Amino acid sequence: MTALRTLTIANTRSFVRDRAALFWTLAFPILFVVLFGSIFSGNGATSFQVGWADEDGSPGATQLRSGFAGTGIVELTDGTRDELLEQMRAGDLDGIVVVTDGVGEALGAAAGGQTPSTPVSLVVFTDPSQQTQSTTIQQIVSQIVSATNQALSGRPPVLALEMESLQTDDITPAAYFVPSILAMALMQLGVFAAIPLAEQREKLILKRLGATPLRRWTLVGSNILMRLVIALVQSVLIISIGALLFGVTIVGSIALTAGFIVLGAVTFTSIGYVIASFAKTEESANSLTSVVQFPLMFLSGIFFPIDFMPEFLQPVAAVMPLTYLGDALRQVMVGGAPYAPLPIDALVLGAWLVGSFVISARFFRWQ
Amino acid sequence: MRTPGAATAVIDAQDLRKRYGPVQAVDGVSFQVERGEVFGMLGPNGAGKTTTVEMLEGLREPDGGQALVLGIDVAREPDRLKERIGVQLQTAALYPNLTVTEVIDLFRSFYRQRRPTRELIAALDLTERKDALTKVLSGGQRQRLSVALALVNDPELIFLDEPTTGMDPAARRSLWDLVLVLKERGTTVLLTTHYMEEAEQLCDRIAIMDHGKILEMGTVKELVERRFQELSIRFDALPGLEDERLRALPAVTRVVHEDGEVALYTRDVAATIGGLLEASREVSQEPQNLAVRRATLEDVFLDLTGRALRD
Repeated sequence: MTALRTLTIANTRSFVRDRAALFWTLAFPILFVVLFGSIFSGNGATSFQVGWADEDGSPGATQLRSGFAGTGIVELTDGTRDELLEQMRAGDLDGIVVVTDGVGEALGAAAGGQTPSTPVSLVVFTDPSQQTQSTTIQQIVSQIVSATNQALSGRPPVLALEMESLQTDDITPAAYFVPSILAMALMQLGVFAAIPLAEQREKLILKRLGATPLRRWTLVGSNILMRLVIALVQSVLIISIGALLFGVTIVGSIALTAGFIVLGAVTFTSIGYVIASFAKTEESANSLTSVVQFPLMFLSGIFFPIDFMPEFLQPVAAVMPLTYLGDALRQVMVGGAPYAPLPIDALVLGAWLVGSFVISARFFRWQ
Repeated sequence: MRTPGAATAVIDAQDLRKRYGPVQAVDGVSFQVERGEVFGMLGPNGAGKTTTVEMLEGLREPDGGQALVLGIDVAREPDRLKERIGVQLQTAALYPNLTVTEVIDLFRSFYRQRRPTRELIAALDLTERKDALTKVLSGGQRQRLSVALALVNDPELIFLDEPTTGMDPAARRSLWDLVLVLKERGTTVLLTTHYMEEAEQLCDRIAIMDHGKILEMGTVKELVERRFQELSIRFDALPGLEDERLRALPAVTRVVHEDGEVALYTRDVAATIGGLLEASREVSQEPQNLAVRRATLEDVFLDLTGRALRD
């Protein structure tokens, strides 16, 4: 027991005294949170700049306008279609809604009980390169359009729209990325375990320890314990900053959040052991770690929903452990829409843990 | 096929073998080390010393042969053995970001029997550096710390693999003193070295190794006398004094030229010197830098391996 304790303390001390390790595991994720946070809040994530070109000029069109303005999500700028298009090209507008001539007449006719022979249209301009904005604006417009159609048809609504699952309504970008960054940080903390392991092997520290009565499992256990201690510190920091700066609080179970943090840290530490099993030197562990962490990060849907990925990459994301850690943390912490049910998240992470464990036990060399 | 004395030996190695790919690193090594002895393995790099020692420490599994250390079968119960031995590896393996005290405390926690940290730090002359991170220590200090780590469990037997490599002469002396203190305490020491002087100064018995085999074993005196019964008389070569004339001097067995120096090997120093002085007078000269020397371990080594062992 004392060996486990002293070794864990020694490892933690070594870690804390290593400036580079400290930066990557503590400062870097925090910078990430702050940076992402400022980008999203600076961009007016809660209010979109939309141009309003009223080519109809009827009271019906004005009513429609107040309907849009009433959502509180858009800020309307009036102008002609051409003026507004110019502004949008200059980057001042996220989208434009054009009320074409005849809309007011059609609305009036519909209110009078007549059905117009051909529906009149609202024209919506969006910029597909601004994915979040264009999707949101399209959603808002289509909701208002269908609400209007429904109201004019005079029948009670059969299907009500559940607004909660909509990204803009419930999960703010901050709520999406705080758990994501936490997941990313846990992943890095884990796979980076490979570097000191390879270093300790290269410097023959592991060999020297092998000449003492210290059990190997005590050594492995202390490494994992140390990573867990750091993981908890990291998590508390990231969650606190998310809460203080961006108001992202844990809505779900704290115990379950902690459970997934522990499972994630242990799983990725095992993956770190796998890397250390195949890296001969500290140098190669370093590069192998980068090679592993980037695909893990970008093919795992922690920065954007997997549905946004190209179709051929989606199956890759579906096996990445980080996908499931991010998904689980989002669900538990901020009530995000599930990619997979929580037990599946836990199961996939568990499978990676067991698999990495078996591979390390088979291939890890102590000297 | 057990050699006599094996029952009381602290180390009893029988026909140890280890192969790395095409290289037979250790090729049938057998020897015993008695309690309280300082036993040295002398040989050039790659002779198989380290591999032999690591098989005795339970760090490497031999391909063949058997090792009993402190009466424990190393292959069968390495963990029981590790509790009772002290090990210093050739390359000092330390935690760069821990202090001297922290590393010693860490290693102490692995053993049931422990020497007090402060005592170890004082014994290895590290008191002034006790709060320094190991990465800022000098080579000699690092080496001393690595010896301190070998002593944390107050072992009965300690293995020192090239303990003074990279040390300056003063640090080397102080480590030698430490080995002698250990010897006084009754600790058995097995050390490897490629320094002749170190082997001569410290070791009760020496095994000379090359190409994975022990070529010769014994005390320094035994090793020298086994090969060189004669003493050598050395002086700067005298012009006009032919080898033939020298060879005819009383009691001379061999005449050797080395770097402008002549060495006469003789069974009777007085007779040979008398004859030499007479002969030099004949050519009206006097021998310069005249010296009488017994053969050394270095001569033995040269004779055995056909090459000098230099650092």
